[in-house]
Amino acid sequence: MQALAALALGLATSLAYAGDKVEQPIEFPHDVHAGKMGINCMYCHTYARRSRVSGIPPLRKCIGCHQSIESVKDKPRIKKLFEYWDKKEAIPFKKVNDLPDFVRFSHERHIQRFYFQLGRPVEEVCGYCHGNVRGMTVDVKVEPLTMGWCVSCHQKDHPNSKVGVEAVSARVIFPRMELSEQSAQGVNAETSHGPNDCWQCHK
Amino acid sequence: MKNFERRDFLRVLGWGGASASVAACGYTSIDSGVETVKSYVEPEDFNIPGVGVYYASTCTQCEAQCGVVGRVRDGRVLKLEGNTASGINRGKLCGLGQASVQHHYNPDRLRAPLLRDGGTLKPVSWTEATSALLDRSAATKDGRFAFLTGPVSGHLKVLVRNTTESLGSNQHFTYDPLSTRVNRVAADQLFGAESPRLVLDQAQLIVSFGADFLDTWVSPVHFAGQYARFRRATESKPRGVLVQIEPRMTVTGANADRWIAIRPGTEGVLALGLANALLSAKGHAGGAVPPAIATAAAAFDKTRVTTETGVSAEVFDRLVRLMQERAPSVVLSGPSAEGHVHGSANAQAILALNWVLGNVGKTVLLPPKLPFEQIGPESGDTASLRQFAAALAAGKLDTVFIHDVNPVYSAPAFLKMKELLDKAHFKVVFAQYLDETAKEADLVLPIDSALEDWGTHVPAYQPEGIEITMQQPLMERLYPEGTRSIGDVLLEVLKRRRPEEYKGFADYYAYLHAALVKNRAAFVGAAGDGEQFWTDALSKGVLQVNAPEQHVPAKAASVELDFAGAAQAADSKFPFSLAPAVRAGMRDGRHANLPWLQETPDTLTTIVWDSWAEVHPATAKRLGIVDGDIIEVASASGSLRVQAYIFPGVHPDVIGVPLGQGHESMGRYADGRGVNPFQILDPVFDRKTGELAMYATRVHIGKTGVRGRVVKDEGWKSGAVKTQAGRKLVVTLSADKAKLSGEV
Repeated sequence: MQALAALALGLATSLAYAGDKVEQPIEFPHDVHAGKMGINCMYCHTYARRSRVSGIPPLRKCIGCHQSIESVKDKPRIKKLFEYWDKKEAIPFKKVNDLPDFVRFSHERHIQRFYFQLGRPVEEVCGYCHGNVRGMTVDVKVEPLTMGWCVSCHQKDHPNSKVGVEAVSARVIFPRMELSEQSAQGVNAETSHGPNDCWQCHK
Repeated sequence: MKNFERRDFLRVLGWGGASASVAACGYTSIDSGVETVKSYVEPEDFNIPGVGVYYASTCTQCEAQCGVVGRVRDGRVLKLEGNTASGINRGKLCGLGQASVQHHYNPDRLRAPLLRDGGTLKPVSWTEATSALLDRSAATKDGRFAFLTGPVSGHLKVLVRNTTESLGSNQHFTYDPLSTRVNRVAADQLFGAESPRLVLDQAQLIVSFGADFLDTWVSPVHFAGQYARFRRATESKPRGVLVQIEPRMTVTGANADRWIAIRPGTEGVLALGLANALLSAKGHAGGAVPPAIATAAAAFDKTRVTTETGVSAEVFDRLVRLMQERAPSVVLSGPSAEGHVHGSANAQAILALNWVLGNVGKTVLLPPKLPFEQIGPESGDTASLRQFAAALAAGKLDTVFIHDVNPVYSAPAFLKMKELLDKAHFKVVFAQYLDETAKEADLVLPIDSALEDWGTHVPAYQPEGIEITMQQPLMERLYPEGTRSIGDVLLEVLKRRRPEEYKGFADYYAYLHAALVKNRAAFVGAAGDGEQFWTDALSKGVLQVNAPEQHVPAKAASVELDFAGAAQAADSKFPFSLAPAVRAGMRDGRHANLPWLQETPDTLTTIVWDSWAEVHPATAKRLGIVDGDIIEVASASGSLRVQAYIFPGVHPDVIGVPLGQGHESMGRYADGRGVNPFQILDPVFDRKTGELAMYATRVHIGKTGVRGRVVKDEGWKSGAVKTQAGRKLVVTLSADKAKLSGEV
């Protein structure tokens, strides 16, 4: 339906994306943990640097800290947390930032590159896709996470070359893609293997 | 349409322009809050979402029992690969093995026990099912119980035997519809071992009488690996030459340098003719050849052999010359040579060629003997099914347990298995699906898939030393409340019957653990610490048994050849021989409900999702049959209506019909698809072993006037295989231009 509407409108205007706030079993306050407390995202999302998914932290992780934080023990959210722990049951959080099954996005690659290799601050690195999580309670999708949106970023920083064959496959699928005047060799070898090859994301 | 909100409108607006033209091609954005994230409470340290871990186990899809390693991610098994530690498959795995995940995730798996109540099977809880099992089997009188299983080895075999004994009986029948027993008996006589070790890669020539060792015979993945080395020329040996002699082309036959279409049943005649020619040639040492073979061979001169077998004198001479020039060689005997009244004599004559050619001790060796006989492989045969049927018919059985076989489907119609099963009052079937046999049961117990269960296996064919392979769950049960391990169920029975012996074992896992750890001194490199040994065994997946190598005898034991019935008179009523072909993916029909295997094109005909009857082009022309004609294939025991496929890879007097299809009750992918040639087999048996003579059924064929379209990869048009519609998909050269005859 959206596709049809898009075809009908055919307007090229860029507007900010805003996702719906999802009702979660526990309204987890990112603003407190990442904002007020300044905890590194990867302290809880410990899989992000090691796996293609960042994962929901295991319940044990929450309990690990909260069993010794007496000041908030009587808060309704924490009580609920311990209820799940006593039942040894995972909290059924809903997915907020989900990708279709035919897309293979790797958290590990992005974290390793931007956080560990280039040393950029964690809130900036995660924020590329997830926005300002420090200002949210439960996470809200702030970017569309479509292919066009992915490419827009890679395109901006690492334009494809007009010269050589590397751009061809991407060009077929994405005909309006901006191509650089640089030769293929001129494009950073590391990034030119990125999304310019369909297979990198669609394995 | 009415849910199209402002936000969606803006979202679409934002992706106008370029995206508009290709929007339909997948600018997919997934809505938030639809799916639930799977998270963990207290995961193991190695458990990282999105990252796979690997566990070793054993493939149970056929009797080869290759080692496998399963990739498990987020608690789900995704894919199997071969286990490099296994001497059988050395890290390789065939398509059948790959497909075993589809047994595991199959939508038709039983998820609750079924108990017969007033004529129909009704789902019950495991508590009810277990009490029905224990109480009703306890009521069995001494000697009126039987356990029918497929080929079984390891500790499950011990539990099966002990369960049978605890219920006052000694009747454990091991049934294998594709039994190789004729071969095993002949090999045992000639070489002193049922499964001699075949060193194909050391041979310069393989002459196989119908042994489809690359696809379906004994241990196909192992033999395929050896075959690759056999085909490679090295400094010490030339590229190996393969000659395949069989009435209907197998995959091995298609790979052969020379494929010889022999008149069915005359394989032994050719073998003796070859023996005669080799023994009477100048310079033959003689010596170790069994006297009975030498005596019998003398009567088979070239003229007689060529007349009886239909093999031309020129081909015969070439074969003799190849055998003389290329040493060592290996001569193999397979099901198409063994499935006759005189099948044992055929097998003996064929295998004796290894003595004539001096292969024994070079390419035919003896494996070590397994020190613990009680867990040794019980390979199964068809004679035991007849004994089981006879016991049922005589009304000697009240309670029967059936596991891992589907006799109502795979027994020939003349045995009337379905009717006979009615005579037992309490039939318990352990099954993953409600198959034809389970449908007749009084109690159906849904068992774990091979990827959820524990086990140990001792492969019947041992390429290196003696290996015991470990089977462990690759993931949690898909239906924790629905299925159980057969080991656990049998332990329940044993705990009730013999509490003092079995009360110490909490479950099948505990039993296996205790049994192996206690006997760990028997294994190569076993650590002193029991837990360390157990962990090593599970992570490696394979245990090597300490056993001394056996030496081959210098001389063969004496054999008696009984060739009566070898020469078949022409039969005007049933002019054709039926070749019930084994397909690697289907085997005896147990894998018919796996869509990957149904979808895999048959290697030679490229037909998918169906059965067919292979008819030689000359025969088809004579009878006016074209591709896709529905023909009737009728034996004295029954008939099938099946589509004809014109195939040059059969002897003109043979009709090949593949096994495995024609299920009535198995699952959504198998039911009502194709035909079941087991049903029309004639009651003909090998005289020596009593095995069902699978290739001895005589049939006639006739047109029905109905025509269908053969669904196959090579294109539906008749003859498309030759032209490939002009697209040169596979560039080929006809055999006469390839000058293969120069060498072979």
